[in-house]
Amino acid sequence: MNSNNKIQQKLRHEAGALLEQNKVDLIIGFEPGSLKFTTTPLITRDKGDLDRLVINPFIVNNLAVFLPDIKGPDLKGPKLKGRVAIVAKGCDGRSIVSLIQDNKVRRDNLVILGIPCPGMIELRKVEKLTGKDRDELDDIIREGDKVVITVDGKASEFPISDVLFDNCLGCEFPTPQDYDILLGEPTAPFAERSAGQARILKGISPQERWEFWRREFRRCIRCYACRNICPSCFCQRCFVEESEPQWLMPVPRWQENLMFQAIRTIHLAGRCSDCGECERSCPVNIPLRSLTREMYDLVDELFHFKAGMAKDAPPLMTHYEQEEAKDLIR
Amino acid sequence: MNHKKINKKDLGNLLHQWSKDYTIFVPSNEGDTAQMGLWDGSDTGFLDWYRNTAKPPKANFLPPVEEMFRFQKGKEGHSIKLPSQEHQQLIFGIRPCDGRSLAILDNIFTDAYQDPYYLPRREGAVLVGLGCLKPYDTCFCTSLGISPGESNDVDLMLTDTGDEFLIEEISDKGKQLMELTAGLEDATEDDTARASEAKGKAHDKVTRKIDTQHLSHKLLSTFEDETYWEKVAAKCIACGICTFLCPTCHCFDISDEMVKKEGARFRCWDSCAFPLYTKMPMENPREEKWQRVRQKVCHKFEFYPMAFDVIACTGCGRCIRLCPVNWDICQTLGQLPG
Repeated sequence: MNSNNKIQQKLRHEAGALLEQNKVDLIIGFEPGSLKFTTTPLITRDKGDLDRLVINPFIVNNLAVFLPDIKGPDLKGPKLKGRVAIVAKGCDGRSIVSLIQDNKVRRDNLVILGIPCPGMIELRKVEKLTGKDRDELDDIIREGDKVVITVDGKASEFPISDVLFDNCLGCEFPTPQDYDILLGEPTAPFAERSAGQARILKGISPQERWEFWRREFRRCIRCYACRNICPSCFCQRCFVEESEPQWLMPVPRWQENLMFQAIRTIHLAGRCSDCGECERSCPVNIPLRSLTREMYDLVDELFHFKAGMAKDAPPLMTHYEQEEAKDLIR
Repeated sequence: MNHKKINKKDLGNLLHQWSKDYTIFVPSNEGDTAQMGLWDGSDTGFLDWYRNTAKPPKANFLPPVEEMFRFQKGKEGHSIKLPSQEHQQLIFGIRPCDGRSLAILDNIFTDAYQDPYYLPRREGAVLVGLGCLKPYDTCFCTSLGISPGESNDVDLMLTDTGDEFLIEEISDKGKQLMELTAGLEDATEDDTARASEAKGKAHDKVTRKIDTQHLSHKLLSTFEDETYWEKVAAKCIACGICTFLCPTCHCFDISDEMVKKEGARFRCWDSCAFPLYTKMPMENPREEKWQRVRQKVCHKFEFYPMAFDVIACTGCGRCIRLCPVNWDICQTLGQLPG
């Protein structure tokens, strides 16, 4: 039995016990997706569903995104009524803590089922590596630091770092910072984390950078998947939806698209846990993490702040100390 | 009927010939995102990778954003300037599902009014279909009466027979184009037989199915079942991917942009997944996510068939393939109570 299977069994057991003992009303985890090499969020109150819970290298979603939305046990009533047990990888855990800091969810309503995360496999990288689409692959099996990919019956071995998401390669805290139950042993970050830094913005001139983003954002269709998949984008009403007066034209022209993303990124300062979900979700492959990771690094550099590390710490951007004024306002 | 054929190596010449009368669009990859893009005049490399585009060909007829007109405010009132007529487009390589999607869209744009933007583009366009021999695991076109290798919704239909394409004339427009096209060989019976075999094989490769029988009725009886729709919608993040990239979704928003006394009116894609879509001054009838998910499903499989006698889905599978939470329309339809 590999370690994922053990963790999965333990997860099913713990989740079942939590529902049975009426400690939570709702479980949020992952179940097998309808497609090969995918999983899908499982949000359930039914103990009978729990044997579908899975842990594997494809549990990509940051489930914290559902927390500000969850309703009570009768599926009606005031938001956040129910107590929730949620499966969380390192970055998801930081998003959860960040939501607690922002008063979007209460810690005592949560049971965090922590997963020490060895990194998630990015299917786009596997597709590039093999020259095949996801549905043409026979198998993808992770074996420690290696991955074995089978195409047309032929197995090939690659270093795992070839196929993990960039944000996983650059992850500082793969084990959740706050949890009630940790499923598995804490795991260490990758030794060579620089591979996971934002690639595109470094070392090019502002003109080239502008040109780059102009080109990228011409493709944006303003589907808002980046915003809606993001746990930190929790505004009840996003600024782009302000129509009286209109803050931003809804037309998907590159100027507006770039402006939307720039403002979104600024709103995420001190909240973004670099889970990479915005970039993964983008249907037109805009390298959004190059913006969010840059912001993440800037926040660290300027404020010595990392998102979602301590639930009792005040949120970065809504908190203000008198002495800060000396440096900031001159 | 006599069909023609062309060697794949000569495809560039054929497109070049057609480019004298048409602006040619072919499957192209812009930033790893496939769409029907402007042909560069030489590259036919798409034949190696093209299965289907992410952005559907509806974008060539109902673009994500378009300027409807420009206006200027003067002493005598507003003066209006309409956009210039676009070139006639030839879309090469459109798949049978997407060919059908345009036929489905024609209903709505000729119903209450004749859409002056969509229709001239449709009338001016030539669709050159390319049989889909490698459907995705998300495709379920055969459940919607479409066969991946065949189409009556295009003007010419091409089938890959190995080193060559068999070319069939489907419409009068296609026939006229063929009459003006030089350098094609007559296809032999052997070519036609090989094409038929390829079409049959492609049809069998579509293994994903939905049952469309009684679907309208089931949706009608499930309409009030809030518990079902809440459950179905729980993991949906209410983004616009499935609607924007759906080849038959056609909702749009209209906005004016005015600086000083000049401006323009735009229309751009809109989505029933967004709360703002139905927001009115006093209320929003679809405030809840489950109501919006229900609307999307019912519009495609209940309301559109009621209005136009055709399901507004072609089984192209984009909504499944591109969904960031793997929300699968086939599961939602398959699990409908009643």
